[in-house]
Formats: sequence, structure tokens, C-alpha cells
Amino acid sequence: MTTQKITADEIELLTKYIYDVSGIAIEKTKSYLLETRLGPLLDEFGLDSYRALHEKAKGDFRKSVETKIIDAISTNETLFFRDRDTFEVFRNKIIPDLIDARSGRAPALPSVPIRIWSAACSTGQEVYSIAITLKELLVDLKKYRIKLLGTDISDAAVSRASYGIYSKFEIERGMPQPLLQKYFSPVGANWKINDEIRAMATFQRLNLLAPFGALGRFDIVFCRNVAVYFNPEDRKVLFNRIADILEPDGVLIIGATESLTGVCPRFEPKHHIRSIFYQLKGGR
Amino acid sequence: MKSLNILLVDDDPTALLVLEKGLSLQEYPVTTAADGEEALGRIAGESFDVVITDLMMPGIDGIGVLKAAKARSARTEVLLLTASQSLKSAVDAMKNGASDYLQKPVDLGELLIILEKIESFRNMAASAEELREAMDVTEHNAQETIGRLEMEVARLASLLEQIREILSDETLEAGKRVEKALHCASNDSTRGG
Repeated sequence: MTTQKITADEIELLTKYIYDVSGIAIEKTKSYLLETRLGPLLDEFGLDSYRALHEKAKGDFRKSVETKIIDAISTNETLFFRDRDTFEVFRNKIIPDLIDARSGRAPALPSVPIRIWSAACSTGQEVYSIAITLKELLVDLKKYRIKLLGTDISDAAVSRASYGIYSKFEIERGMPQPLLQKYFSPVGANWKINDEIRAMATFQRLNLLAPFGALGRFDIVFCRNVAVYFNPEDRKVLFNRIADILEPDGVLIIGATESLTGVCPRFEPKHHIRSIFYQLKGGR
Repeated sequence: MKSLNILLVDDDPTALLVLEKGLSLQEYPVTTAADGEEALGRIAGESFDVVITDLMMPGIDGIGVLKAAKARSARTEVLLLTASQSLKSAVDAMKNGASDYLQKPVDLGELLIILEKIESFRNMAASAEELREAMDVTEHNAQETIGRLEMEVARLASLLEQIREILSDETLEAGKRVEKALHCASNDSTRGG
């Protein structure tokens, strides 16, 4: 398979276009990324250049070309239980602390609210990893009011997350065999998440660079491995907005190789065993 | 010797023998089972790469073998052998996670092509896995370094804040402030916190 080469002018045009519609900042040196991700779209639409693709996207008022471009560009690495340490700290520290704090604050409440947002959920692996962890830890979910929201900029990713069907290869990446048998059923060569876990989550499309205050407030926000695709200014805006919607004693979890140093001074890092999570300064 | 470890299940001894011969000639390591029950015993004892099983068997049938193999390891590929009239059950088997089905009598050439595809798929998956592992190691190291730096920066920022407070404390004389600030820096209470 050969992919069409992209010219310097086209790189300029498309990186700007992609930034405008998605906030994803692609470095101009990464022409290969544009070629491998957008090349197949040229074939699909029968176009002979990336400039033509750009024109088609601009002229398409139903935004179906824009959607396809965003889907192609934003498809990113994801797997079940990505970063073991993160899920360990989530299970052994963050959730128990949250439940202690919430039960102590309003002991009369019949159920403890737990509101979690996976801000760049891609095809749903992170959301279902969170849901399975909660189910394993809390067992009787009726005692809690769990709101688990997954959002992503890609329509295609959000609908795949909603279906909750994964190929054998996606499953093998990170899903332990006992959990697979317990929470998935085979559908042809694929595996489908069980209804009980599926029902814990809702999914919607969301551009993280548009205001998201309407989502409500959250106790825990997972925002992992997405801000790396934004420029430093947008990164600051994003984490400031997350700080705005996080409960004062809430928790932010970012990617294991990401850092908030110099990005948002409202957060301070907390260290637990091998992992780091963030809380608002003076929050707890 | 080929790398796929195969379990062959059929209650028809002739069909079993023919396929076993055919696959052994191609140097596949083959284990056989004469019915579903024996197959389940074999599956409990070892993990197979591929299970080729007759669909219609008395007692535990092909679907039972399929489910047991998949429960043992999701990586096991299961091929169903069906008589032409049981096509619908073959489709059901696919829904239960079978990789493919073949009509009896089995065309050995067709079976070998399927096995080769499975083998090359597995090799590809294995090298992807190796790459993945290499990436995990790199990522894990980066994670430790970044985590350490993140905590260190936070510690220094809080120390700096304390020193700034001391230096702007107007209830103390200038000399005292410097002395107290130096003391604060050397007895850094934030260290190790």
C-alpha cells in the first residue's frame, strides 16, 4: 500500500484546519502522521490530493468529512487497565478515601454519590476498566449513586465505546482472563461487555476545548494522554476548566508520563506507592 | 515441527485418524480425543493453540468443547467440523466464538490454509506484543522519572513559598528574616514529604 505524499502547503493547510475543528495541535514535522491517517480518506472519497480533501471538508455543511478527519486523526492508543499503578491507586486509595469522606459528610444519605468523568475515553476501554474496578471493589452497587461519563472528540470512538464490543486483540491488551470471563460474553470472534457493566456508563461526543461546565461537577476526572496533543496554551485552559468542575476534595488523574508542572498551579501532586494523582490545593 | 499445538476431536474414529495423519504429515503436533468428554480432560490438562472439533457428538458436543477451550484461554482458536445439514448450528458456533467452520468430509488443503492464516496472525500478534512490552518498559521508566520530578517540583515550590513568607515577614528585623529563611532552607521540613 502506498500513501500519497503530502506537500508543505498542504501540511500548513491541514494542521491549521485540524487545530480549528478539534484543538489537536499536530507538529508540522509530523507529515507521516497526516499521510498515514488521512491517506485512506483520499481513497475513500476518490480525491487526488490533501488540498482537495481540505476543500471537500470546508464545503461539506453536514460535516461528515470533518467527522471522518477527526476520527482518523484522534484515534489513539488505548487499552484496558492502561497503567496498572494508576488503577491500583484508584482502587486502593482514591475510591476508599472518597467514600469515607462522602459517607462522613452526609451519613443520612441513602446512597453515596460517586461521579467520574473519563475525558478522552476513546473506544471505551478506560471507562469499562473503571466500571469493572468499581464493581469488583464495591460489590453491591445499589449503595452508591454512580455516574460514569465517557467523552471523546471522535464520533466513531464514542459509538464504538457505546457498543462495548472488542476484538480478541483489544481484549488481550490488558484484560485479565478472570475479569474477561466474568464481565464479557463472546460475540462471534469478539467480546461484548456485559449489560450490568455497560449500564454503569454513558458516553457522549465532546470537544475538550469547548466549555464543558454543563457536564456538572465530578469527584474524579481521568484526563489521560490527551492534553499531549494540545498546545501549551490550550493545555492550561483545559486543566483550569477541569479544576472548575472538580469537587474541592476531588481527584484528577493524568497520563503516567504526563506532568502538570507549569500547566495548572491550582493542582498539587499527591504521591501514593508508585503512582501520582492530583488534588486542588487547599482542597482537603 | 510447526508451532501450532492442535487438539483434534471427533467421535468418528476414521475421520479422526485421517485428519490426524494429514496434520502430522505437515508436522503439526496433534493430540486427539474420541469424544467431548475426553476433549475436556485434555483441555483441562494443557492449553492448545487450535482446537478442531466435530460439532455433532453424543454427550458433550462441539459447542461444549468450544466453550471449554475458550474458557481455558481466549487465545485458543476453535474450528468446527460440520455435516452440511447442520449449517445453522455452525453459524451458532461462530456466534459463540469459533474462528471458522469446515464442512465434512474435510478438505485437508482448505484446513491447512486456515491453519497457516492462524499461524501468521499469531506471529504478527506476537511481534506486536513484543513491541508493546518494549514500549511499556520505556513508558514505565519515564513514568517513574516524571513522577519523581513532579513531586520534587511541588516540594521546592512549597519551600520557596515558605521562604518568601519569612522574608516578607515585617514583624522580624531584616537580619532575623535572613537567618530564619536560611534555617528553613537547610532544615527543609518539606523534604521527604
